[in-house]
Amino acid sequence: MKTKLALAIASCMLAAPSFAEVNLSGFASINGGKVLSGSGVPQFGIEDPIFLADYPIVSTYDEEFSLEPESLFGLQITADLADGLSATAQIVARGANDFDAKFEWAYISYELNESWTIQAGKKRLPLFYYSDFYDVGYAYVWMRAPADNYTWQIFNYNGINALYTGEVGDWSLSGNIYTGREDDESNKLLSEFFFGEPTREIWKDIVGGVLQASNDWLEIRGTYMTYTNQRYRSGEPVLWDGKDEREGDFYGLAVNADFGNLFILSELNRLDLGGKLDTRMLTVGYRIDSVTPFISYAEFEEDSAGGEEHNTTSVGIRWDFHPAAAFKVQYDNVNDESFDLAVAGDSEAITFGIDLVF
Amino acid sequence: MKLLTYLVLLFTVSFAHAGVDVIVHPSNGAALDAGAIKKIFTGKSKSFPDGSKAIPLTQVATAAATGEFNDKVLSKSASQLKAHWSKLVFTGKGTPPKEAANDAEVLSLVASNPNIIGFVTSGSADGSVKVVQSF
Repeated sequence: MKTKLALAIASCMLAAPSFAEVNLSGFASINGGKVLSGSGVPQFGIEDPIFLADYPIVSTYDEEFSLEPESLFGLQITADLADGLSATAQIVARGANDFDAKFEWAYISYELNESWTIQAGKKRLPLFYYSDFYDVGYAYVWMRAPADNYTWQIFNYNGINALYTGEVGDWSLSGNIYTGREDDESNKLLSEFFFGEPTREIWKDIVGGVLQASNDWLEIRGTYMTYTNQRYRSGEPVLWDGKDEREGDFYGLAVNADFGNLFILSELNRLDLGGKLDTRMLTVGYRIDSVTPFISYAEFEEDSAGGEEHNTTSVGIRWDFHPAAAFKVQYDNVNDESFDLAVAGDSEAITFGIDLVF
Repeated sequence: MKLLTYLVLLFTVSFAHAGVDVIVHPSNGAALDAGAIKKIFTGKSKSFPDGSKAIPLTQVATAAATGEFNDKVLSKSASQLKAHWSKLVFTGKGTPPKEAANDAEVLSLVASNPNIIGFVTSGSADGSVKVVQSF
């Protein structure tokens, strides 16, 4: 009897893995480009022109054509364990990090009912409209989400997220409430680009919410997040007004309108860290069958004299030449207005590439 | 004679672009307009208006009915839909509908499950399912 039971358990355990339906999907971008002209940042020892296409990942182009800064390959594995439970992992290898593959997402998800899903683990911090799917170039029109807006050094967090879907009349609602923290032992943007020394960046006590409403042609997204920032440069705590931590509050509003062929995308964001850091973006595009030309303007402005201030004007084309792949080409003109807090100087750059999903 | 040729041509063209019928299980009493169908097939709604769970079922991209449905009901190109779903899939917010191979497979799956909603080429629905809308 015992043997029979043991056998039954063993066979159950053996059979168990077959209950999980495993799905493999992914995305890739092979992008290249170069700087056409620019100022560099001579006051910080950068003599040659550079184009900083992506702040947190530090994707920089120079006058030599390169395929490395923005190419990436992502693989997503989802194990559906039935009854609303699933586990998802996303592994991304980036050219900017020598194609070193890393887990960017790893979370479990449980669907409580038709409206609520609870997720826990490592996820992308949903600050901006495009933060969540920043790596999936196929999902948007530009080469990249506007660099002047997507500047924040922390883009993942470990925590819990409650996801909501619902409806009010003709409007579809979705939103989430999340909490967690991120301790980035060696923050790439701060260590390699801004301070030139090992910098540990901590965002803790993160609490945020997103609410998105959409109808047939209009989409509005509002968000708020609060967190506590701690920073160590070469092991030494950074002090702000004599304290080793500071509070940050992030506010964001995105409005997208789609008129069929013509579409408008916009974002307004503010990070308040004692001083205000504002970002704005406006894009207009027009679909002509499989070809979509667009024009875009994005800016970053610190609310203080001589503060960080830069903007980018972009024009480009997305061409859906294949059912699962798009070719894009984009010209960017960056103006870096600040001297003391200059980021990458002025530049003009051309980038192009192919985004695909599978 | 010329007129007749035109009429024949017109008929052939409209026949090639035969519409789609959106179908559910005969026991499903939900009233579904184009807006509600669109929401279910784009992941914005996970249930029928009466609250029961809705499982959308599409057809392979190469099926004629898929192109018709995307165009007439969702008003989106195949690439726009793919971009829409990749946004949801890679952020853990949704999973695209499963794809059936053809009209016959959609009919048999819809007939066997009251939660499934699918679409078939106009006129191919039989008594085992209920047509809720024709486009």
